[in-house]
Amino acid sequence: MAGVGFSLRKLSGGTTYAGMIRLYASAGVISSGPWLISILTLVLVGALGRELAPSSDAVERFQVSVTWLFATSLLLTTPLQLLFTRHVSDLLYGEHDELATPSMWGALCVVSVLVGIVCAFAWQLFGAETLALKLVLATCLEVLCATWIVIVMLTSLREHGQVVLAFALGYAVTLGATLLLAPYGELGLLSGFLLGQAVLLLWSLRVVVKLAPGAPSMAWGFFDPSRVHLDLLPIGLCYGFGIWADKLVFWLDDEVSRQVLGPFRASEVYDFPLFLAYLAITPGMAAFLLQVETDYAERHTRFFKAVEEGGNLLKLERLRDELVDAARAAIVTILKVQGVTFAFCLVFGETFLSWFGISRLHLPLFYVDVAAVSMQVLMLSVISILFYLDRRTAVLWIALLLAVSNTALTLASLRTGALFYGYGFAIAASLTTLVALAVLTRAFRDVLRDTFMMQA
Amino acid sequence: MRRRADVCLLLEGTYPYVSGGVSSWVHQIIRGLPDLTFALVFVGGSRRDYAAPKYQLPANVVHLETHYLEDALRGHQPRRVRLDGARLESVRGFHGCLRRWSGTRFDAEVEAGLDALLSTISQPKAIGIDDFLFGSGAWEYMRERYLDTCPSEPFLDYFWTLRLMHGPIFQLAKIAESAPEARVYHTISTGYAGLLGAFLERRRGRALVLSEHGIYTKERKIDLNQAEWIDALRPRTQLGIEESGDATRALWIAYYEALGRLTYRSANPIIALYGGNRERQLADGADPARTRVVVNGVDVKRFESALAARPAKPPRVVGLVGRVVPIKDVKTFVRAMGFVCEALPDAEGWVVGGTDEEPAYAEECQALANNLGLGDRVRFLGHQDVSKMFPQLGVLMLSSISEAQPLAVLEAFASGVPCVTTDVGACREQIEGLTPADRALGRAGSVVPFADPAALGRAAVELLTQSARYAACQRTGLARVQKFYAHAAMIDAYRNIYQHAMGQ
Repeated sequence: MAGVGFSLRKLSGGTTYAGMIRLYASAGVISSGPWLISILTLVLVGALGRELAPSSDAVERFQVSVTWLFATSLLLTTPLQLLFTRHVSDLLYGEHDELATPSMWGALCVVSVLVGIVCAFAWQLFGAETLALKLVLATCLEVLCATWIVIVMLTSLREHGQVVLAFALGYAVTLGATLLLAPYGELGLLSGFLLGQAVLLLWSLRVVVKLAPGAPSMAWGFFDPSRVHLDLLPIGLCYGFGIWADKLVFWLDDEVSRQVLGPFRASEVYDFPLFLAYLAITPGMAAFLLQVETDYAERHTRFFKAVEEGGNLLKLERLRDELVDAARAAIVTILKVQGVTFAFCLVFGETFLSWFGISRLHLPLFYVDVAAVSMQVLMLSVISILFYLDRRTAVLWIALLLAVSNTALTLASLRTGALFYGYGFAIAASLTTLVALAVLTRAFRDVLRDTFMMQA
Repeated sequence: MRRRADVCLLLEGTYPYVSGGVSSWVHQIIRGLPDLTFALVFVGGSRRDYAAPKYQLPANVVHLETHYLEDALRGHQPRRVRLDGARLESVRGFHGCLRRWSGTRFDAEVEAGLDALLSTISQPKAIGIDDFLFGSGAWEYMRERYLDTCPSEPFLDYFWTLRLMHGPIFQLAKIAESAPEARVYHTISTGYAGLLGAFLERRRGRALVLSEHGIYTKERKIDLNQAEWIDALRPRTQLGIEESGDATRALWIAYYEALGRLTYRSANPIIALYGGNRERQLADGADPARTRVVVNGVDVKRFESALAARPAKPPRVVGLVGRVVPIKDVKTFVRAMGFVCEALPDAEGWVVGGTDEEPAYAEECQALANNLGLGDRVRFLGHQDVSKMFPQLGVLMLSSISEAQPLAVLEAFASGVPCVTTDVGACREQIEGLTPADRALGRAGSVVPFADPAALGRAAVELLTQSARYAACQRTGLARVQKFYAHAAMIDAYRNIYQHAMGQ
C-alpha cells in the first residue's frame, strides 16, 4: 500500500488539523473501506431483512452462513494470498509486468481446485438442506475465494481506489438483491448475496484485465521455489488460523453455540460484540497505512539504497537509526490512535450496542473485544515491518504462537466462565504482539550485520 | 586416500593450462627428472580463463588437480554462528602480528602466532570460513578495523575486499587437507600457491622449495596500479575516484606482501633466477641464508636443427616471443616496428604468442598496428613452436616492462638469433654477461631502456644491417648458453635441491 500513502500525503496539503483529518479519513477509507462496507451492508441486511423475510430464523441463518463463508474463504486463501502478493510485487518490480495477470489466472485455478475439494468433502455435512441452497453456498465460497485473489492483485497494482469502488458497487447490488429476494427466505438472501459478490468479482476482473492485460496464458511462477519464498504458505496458514481460532473454538463448543445451518454454528454470546468491535480498527488501520506503509517504507528504501551505493559505515548506521525511529513512531502512533478509539468505545459503547439491538449484558465483552482488535492492528504493523526486513522465519514462529495461544487461551476462557469470554483472544493478541516487538528490536539491532553477512 | 608422489608442484596460473616461459620451464624440469614422480596442484582464478591443458603431461606426472579461487566464497549457506571471544582473540592477535612483522627481524611472538595460524586454521576448534562469513564477533571486528583504517571509504568496498581476500585463505587451507602426499613440496611463486605451500609445510612436516620467476608481489603491484576495476567499483561516491581506489589498492598490496612473507618464512631454499631478483627477495623479507640463484637452462640440442636451418643472410624479420599481455608491452613493440619499417621498408614484425589470455589487449595492439599503417607489416601469429620460428627470425625483440630471466632469449641464442631487449630483469646479464668470464664472451645483442620504441627500433635496425656485428652476436649468444645456461646444469641443480629437501 506504499504508493498510495505517498499520494495521499501530497493531497493532504500540510500539517493543518483539517489536513490531518482529511488525510486520516482518506487513509481510513482506503485501508478499511472494503471491510467496513461489507460489515455495514450485512448489518443493514440483517436489520431490514427481518421485516421482509418470512421468519427471523432465515435472517439469522443467512448471517451465520455469510460469516462462515468469509471465515472459510479467508482460511483457505490466506496462505496463497501471501505467496501471490509477494510474487506479483516481485514481478512488477522486476518489470515482468506481462506475467502478472497470467499468474493471477494460475492462482485462480489453484483456488478453484481447492474450493472444489472442500465442497466435495463438505457436501455431506449439509444433508438436511436443499440442493439449491447447497449449490448457492458452494458458488458463494468459490466467488469469495476468487475475489480475495483478485483484490490482492488490484492492491499489488496499487489500485486501491478501484478496490473501494468495486466493494461499493458489489455491496450496493448485494443490499438491493438481498432485500428484493428476502421473501424467499435464506435461499433468497444468499442468492442476493451471491449476485452482489459476483458483480464485485467480475467488475474487479474487468479492471485488472484493462490495467494489466498481460500475456494470454497462465503462469505458475508463484509456486516456483527459486522465485518465491514458499515458507509464506505456512505463515499464511498459521496467521489465518490464529486470527479465527477463538471464533472457531466458540463455534465448535456445544454450550455456547448452536447449530444454525448444516455445519454452520453461531455463538450468540460471542459473535456480535466481536463483529462490532472490528469496526473499531479503522483508525488504527489508517495510522498503519500512513506510518508503516509510507514513512517507514520510505526510510527503508533509503537505507537499502545507501547500502548498495556504497555509503560509509557511519552514514549507514545513522540511516539505520532513522529506520528504527520510524518504526517506533509508527507503533506509538497506532497505540495512541487505538487508545483513543478504545476510550471512545468505553464512553459510547452502550449507545453503539443499543443501535444494533444488542443487550447491555454484552458490554464487558465488547470492551475486551475492542482491546483485542486494537492489539491485532498493532501486531499486524509489527509483522509488516518484520516482512520488510524479510524475517520470514521469525514471522512464522510468531504466527504459530498466535494460533496456539489463541486456541489454548480461548479454550481456557470457556472453562473459567462467561466473565472471561473474549479474554482468550485479547491475551493471545497482546502476548503475540509483545513477542513480535521483542523480535523486531533484535532484528533492528542486527539489521546492518544481517544485510551484509547473511547473503547466500 | 591421498595420492603419493616424490615432488608435489604448486602451480598458480601457469602449467599446464597456460603456455609461456614459466610453464615451459616446469615442463622441462618434469621431463628432465624422469626418475621422480610428480603431482601437480593447479590454482587458477576463474575456470572461464583456462581451457584444456596446453602441454602433454609426461609419464612421470601421476596426479593433476585443479582448483579455482572463484569457488572460495561459493556454496556457503548463511547461518547464525557464534564467534566467541577466545577464538576472535587469536585472530586479533594474528593481525597484530602481521602489522608488527617487518624485515627478517625475528620476533618470537610473531613467529608463534604465525605457526598457530598455519597449523590450525580450518581445524575443528580453530577458525573456519563460516566464522569469518557469518560469525557474530566477526562483524564487530570488521567494523572496528574499518573505522580504524578507512572510515570514509564506501563500506561495501571494504566489506567485499575483506571477503575476497580471506575466502581463498580458507579455501587453500582446505586444499592443503586433501593435497597429495609428497616427499617435498615445490611452489613456483609466492602468492596463493605460496600460501598453500606454507600450509603444507606446517601440516605435513615436509620441506617447501620456492622457485620464483617473476617476483609475484611486484607483478601484483603493477597489475593493481593499472587495474581499472578498482576505479570502476564506486563511480558514484562523493570522493574523487583516485582517493577511493587508493585504500582498496593499499589493502591488496599489503595482503600480497603478507602472502609473500609467509611463503619466504616457510620455504627453504628460496630460489631466484638471477641476482637482481634475489636482492628483491631479500628486501621483501627472505632470509639471506636460504636464498640462492639457479639460472634457467635451455636444451641446446633441441635447437640444433633450428641453428642449422638458418639462412646465410639474416631475415629482415623482428620477432617478439611472448604472450600478448600488458606486462610484455606489445604496444611498444608495434611502435618500435614503426621505426624499423621506416628504415627497412621490407621488414616485418612477428608476434609469436598466445592472444587468448587478454583478448581486449590483443585487439588494442592490432588496432594500434593498423592505425600506424603497419597492418600488413606486423603479424600476430599466436602460439607457435619456437624452434620452427627462429630460423625465420632475424632478431628477437623483447619490449617487456618486467621480466625475470626470459627463456625466449636463451632459446634464441641457442638458435643463433641475436636479441634486443629492454633493461629489465636478467636481460642485461643475458645479453652482456654476468661474471667476468661471461662478459669476456662479448655481447649477444643490445639492451635499451623500456618504453622507448625509438631505441628498440634503432637497435634492431643496427643489428640487421651490420653483418659483422650480427655474426659476432650470434657466436656470443651460442657460447653463452652452452657455458652458463646449460639445461643439464639446471636439472642437476634441482635434482640436488630435491634430494636435500627430501632428506630433511
